[in-house]
Amino acid sequence: MRGILAPSLLSCLAVGSCGRHAAAPSQQAGAPPPAIRYEAHLAAGGIAPAGATLRNPHQGDRAVAKSGALLFTAMNCDGCHGGDGGGWVGPNLADGRWRYGGADAEVFNSIYYGRPKGMPAFGGTLGAEGVWTLVTYIRSLPVPSDVPTESWQQP
Amino acid sequence: MSRALMAMLGCLGAVAVNGDSVRAAGAQAPAGEDGQWTMPSKDYAATRYSGLAGITPQNASSLHPVWTFSTGVLGGHEGQPLVVGDTMYVVTPWPNVLYAFDLTREGYPLRWKYRPDVSANAIGISCCDAVNRGAFYADGKIIYNLLDGHTVAVEANSGRELWNTQIADVSNGETTTMAPLVVKDRVIVGASGGEFGIYGWVKGLDLKSGRTVWTARNIGPDADMLVRAGTFKPPYDSGADLGARSWANDSWQTGGAPVWGSMSYDPELDLVYYGTGNASPYNPEQRLGDNKWSASVLARKPGDGTLVWAYQFTPHDNWDYDAAGAMILADLTVAGKRTKALVHFDKNGFAYTLDRATGRLLIAAAFAPVNWAKAVDLTTGRPVLDPAKQTGASRGNVKGICPSLEGGVSPSSPAAYSPRTHLFYTSTNNLCMDYATTHASHLKGTPFVGVTSPYFAGPGGNLGAFMAWDAATGRKVWENKEPYPNWSGALVTAGDVAFYGTLDGWFKSVDARTGKVLSKFKVGSGVVGNPITYRGPDGRQYVAVYAGFGGDWALLSGDTRSDDPADVRPPADFLKDIARHTSQGGMIWIFGL
Repeated sequence: MRGILAPSLLSCLAVGSCGRHAAAPSQQAGAPPPAIRYEAHLAAGGIAPAGATLRNPHQGDRAVAKSGALLFTAMNCDGCHGGDGGGWVGPNLADGRWRYGGADAEVFNSIYYGRPKGMPAFGGTLGAEGVWTLVTYIRSLPVPSDVPTESWQQP
Repeated sequence: MSRALMAMLGCLGAVAVNGDSVRAAGAQAPAGEDGQWTMPSKDYAATRYSGLAGITPQNASSLHPVWTFSTGVLGGHEGQPLVVGDTMYVVTPWPNVLYAFDLTREGYPLRWKYRPDVSANAIGISCCDAVNRGAFYADGKIIYNLLDGHTVAVEANSGRELWNTQIADVSNGETTTMAPLVVKDRVIVGASGGEFGIYGWVKGLDLKSGRTVWTARNIGPDADMLVRAGTFKPPYDSGADLGARSWANDSWQTGGAPVWGSMSYDPELDLVYYGTGNASPYNPEQRLGDNKWSASVLARKPGDGTLVWAYQFTPHDNWDYDAAGAMILADLTVAGKRTKALVHFDKNGFAYTLDRATGRLLIAAAFAPVNWAKAVDLTTGRPVLDPAKQTGASRGNVKGICPSLEGGVSPSSPAAYSPRTHLFYTSTNNLCMDYATTHASHLKGTPFVGVTSPYFAGPGGNLGAFMAWDAATGRKVWENKEPYPNWSGALVTAGDVAFYGTLDGWFKSVDARTGKVLSKFKVGSGVVGNPITYRGPDGRQYVAVYAGFGGDWALLSGDTRSDDPADVRPPADFLKDIARHTSQGGMIWIFGL
């Protein structure tokens, strides 16, 4: 399952959907608006600021998730997050827990703009459509019902 | 990435192909041991041997901790402290804090601490935890690398930053974990990034100003490698541009060959020695050819970087067998001939003895379970490969390769050499692997790897050991099996006591001649650092070591981490219960009698 996404298919995914460059993302269909509200953030006084939230155009689409799995390898995501997103130098993406929020829009922003501990911004390379494809895959990963935090307890 | 099956595997033990008798000779005990530890590996020869003899097999049982200090940092504490005069200097993993402890006062209070501004992005661009392998003292300066590609010089007396030079580019996959080497007025540094497809290099900086004087690539065309007319004489190769012609399709441009261990230096030959890491990517079919000079030792003139010789341990690396580990310089008698030797324990499982003036191979013998090669041919210098253990995307999942890509020994775990016992001391790993590579796409600033490589225990079932090695016969003299891979460096002293730590957090002293455990103490976390010894201001001998589980194990055993509630992982299949014995947490321990 790894590394079988041909470069030409990768180009189709990136260019065919929304273009390689995201210089003016707000002017492109499917691109993020300039102000984004994060569901995971606290709001002072309980009053959330104005701001749009993003909607995943492919939410729950299994075919898109399958493409996302190929993209996950082709873009070297697995090099840091491990095969099947199980965690390596980068955090586990399949444990149901999230540093920067696990809603589709929050995962989108983590990939599109990057995060400051070395998560690169992939929005410039993949465009919004490519990033949504990855989000759809990552959100499709099965989350264990019980995360084994007592590792030495042998069955 | 690795979900290994615990299994036993019968591995072919590789054998020495040379019957030459080798007799270690010529005691190299420092004339007048000064009781300090001013360089990462104790001396330019990288022996990690101290002439102090206060701790002996007779009294070591009373060794006990006399002081501890939490570094406040969780990353893997590789490397070692320095002791210069009556001050101990400690560099932490990212964020690379430098502490200076006053050893003259009760409780060893800080004289100062230096907190550099280091980019957090470097954490994610490091392949294998945000480690640092130590500082070097020279000319009143403490010199070390920040993870984000900077070398700094800090005034040893005051903690004032004297210079700060950018040497590497994190956005291009380069980070800086190695310990610098200072020779005369040059500071020699290199970069990690064998998992990011860097174009590997070393640089010579000016000691006074930090200015970059020369840059030498480890791979690529002669001009980039500082091969100058008539100066480069590799013992087994000839011709121009070997570092480029041995890579199909100009694949040297993203070929890796990082530098992440420690370096050594021979003042008489005026040569600096260092090892290079793996070729990138892991799929060897994307870089056909020998891939010179990845997985090699290179000898250069420190003044201008001129390349003098190079020898490749693992041509066309198929298994991530970095040669970044220590090159230990010892004068040995090989086949009756006094030889300026270089000894290296490689990830590939062979221990090598070379003539350090020429790079010619004298001895190669397996010190760990090896089956990727049957032997090393001394006439050609090349390994005799087992074709069944060659890897590549077209070969699918190649099973049962020994050693694993963690190495017969990690380059993070430098050996020691005693001129009294004529033995080398080193941690080892007893792991084998399956290896399935896939095509990797190069995308700047992202990993360039493409492998799935589950591990399992080698013959015997223990995952590691600490051993004494006789270079005269190419055999183990004694071995202490350890339940877990052993990842600490070694220390040996004129008291004939050797020291090491274990992944599950034991710090041990052993009789250097027999391996008998003399003392052990459970320190605060697993040991992946290197013990040192020094004479305190009170005239007594002390031993210092870091605790602080990490390095590769932070990735492989993610269940040992407790710092991030948003990142929980199951244990590694081959190392199920390590988290029962240790978690992360950096501490400095000092032991005395």
